[in-house]
Amino acid sequence: MDAPNKDMNSSKSTASDALPNLSSWRQYKALLRKDIAQEFRTKEMITSMGLYGMLVLVIYYIALSRTGTDFDITTIAAGLLLLMIVFTSMLGLNRSLIHEHDQGQLEALLLAPIDRPIIFLAKATTNLLFLLVVQLVVVPFFYVMFVSGSMPILMGDVTPGPWWKLAIALLLGSIGIAGIGTLLATISVNTKGRDFILAVLFIPVMFPLLLVLVAALNAVIVGGTGYEAEFWTMCAAALGFNAIVIAAAYGLYEFILGV
Amino acid sequence: MSKTAHVSDSKQAGSANAEPAVAAVPAIIAHNVSRSFGPRKALDSVSFKLPDRAFLSIFGPNGAGKTTLLKILATLLPVTGDGTAQVCGFDVKSEAEELRRRIGLISHNPLLYRDLSAEENLQFFAELYCIPNPKERIDELLEAVELKHRRYDVVRGFSRGMTQRLSIARALLPRPQVLFLDEPYSGLDPHASDILDSLIENIRDQHTFVMVSHDLDKGLDLASHALILSRGKIVLYDRCDHLDQTEFKKVYREVVGLGVS
Repeated sequence: MDAPNKDMNSSKSTASDALPNLSSWRQYKALLRKDIAQEFRTKEMITSMGLYGMLVLVIYYIALSRTGTDFDITTIAAGLLLLMIVFTSMLGLNRSLIHEHDQGQLEALLLAPIDRPIIFLAKATTNLLFLLVVQLVVVPFFYVMFVSGSMPILMGDVTPGPWWKLAIALLLGSIGIAGIGTLLATISVNTKGRDFILAVLFIPVMFPLLLVLVAALNAVIVGGTGYEAEFWTMCAAALGFNAIVIAAAYGLYEFILGV
Repeated sequence: MSKTAHVSDSKQAGSANAEPAVAAVPAIIAHNVSRSFGPRKALDSVSFKLPDRAFLSIFGPNGAGKTTLLKILATLLPVTGDGTAQVCGFDVKSEAEELRRRIGLISHNPLLYRDLSAEENLQFFAELYCIPNPKERIDELLEAVELKHRRYDVVRGFSRGMTQRLSIARALLPRPQVLFLDEPYSGLDPHASDILDSLIENIRDQHTFVMVSHDLDKGLDLASHALILSRGKIVLYDRCDHLDQTEFKKVYREVVGLGVS
């Protein structure tokens, strides 16, 4: 049980020469492939998020079908859409880290010679991908029901902006949700009430993004003259918010993991 | 056990993959290693040296700090205070990433993805370690752990023994210099236990092993060095050929009888 001597380090240089070079890109791709293969096999995240989103739409429809003929639903459509996306996303984000937890897989990841932010980037990318797949299914239904005017409950006389502007706003929102959500899901995954903890952390941190997103979505859905300026301003604000918080999450991930 | 193939961890000289030449210096040096969880000290100023290619068995009652020590050496937990630990000559704190390329962990938890196949699991970890020609290495390891015929089956359908064998293959993938084993025999049937024995025997002289165990006979049988921890402190540490096993077992029983605070 002696104290270490300085010459004990002598094996170091020879040991490092013979190992293969590490490639963060290769590790990132491996993490993506693994998450996608797992989801493809279990369909846990996409199915649960998709079904949940559709159920929320049904509930919206039932709840709003009795509002009367003088209520313009398009004035609240942006809020409804965001509400559905946020709660649907939280369901998926909770599950995304559980796969790394139930058999100690996160320990195996942490044991590997991989930069911790690469794990964050890969997880956030797959979460974003799954969120977009779900939105690709659910949002068109929402559009038809509450924006396009094809359903009898829509009473407003509006000219919505083009669908691709809606897609831009949703993409910006999804990037923020996936980035922050991945960080917060990592914090909450080891806690007892992880679903509750994630919700408690997620909403306050996301609050500025939710505000600008609802304004951007509202500008597109209600449309009309002068909506473009507000839409692009809000998109720029969302982009700035995403850049700041994702950079912070990237930098903090090693600290959050603890090793 | 003769069926168990030999796991070739010796590498071709001169290849990019060649095993690092490690001089006869300690593989592990722990100096005043402490770790607290809140007010509780799980490890209290633990110091020891372990020579290269040695097999250390760590014994102690539940809560003695065995797994904590293993996790600190495997870079999975940071040290509290100013203690230091070096594994393969690399500091566990400041040179963790370099060190992680040289260590493997076999735990009672398989650390595998249950929805992926045996091959997909190994392929994934091979990519994380950027192993060149991973297919060749995966074939070799699947053969060694007798799982080649189940390579395309998802791990969810594996028995405990098969999962543990695959976990061993995962740990051996990057040809680690030091292998940490956290109660690796836990829950294994006799056949799986024999395969693990055989695998360890085959690679015994190519790696340094640190094993946490509750099985005194098995642990002493494998070990070149033995260590007893109790309440986060080393009670006894010595080479097995210097130990009087009867005396050692007596000390162990006394320690276990003490329990934990």
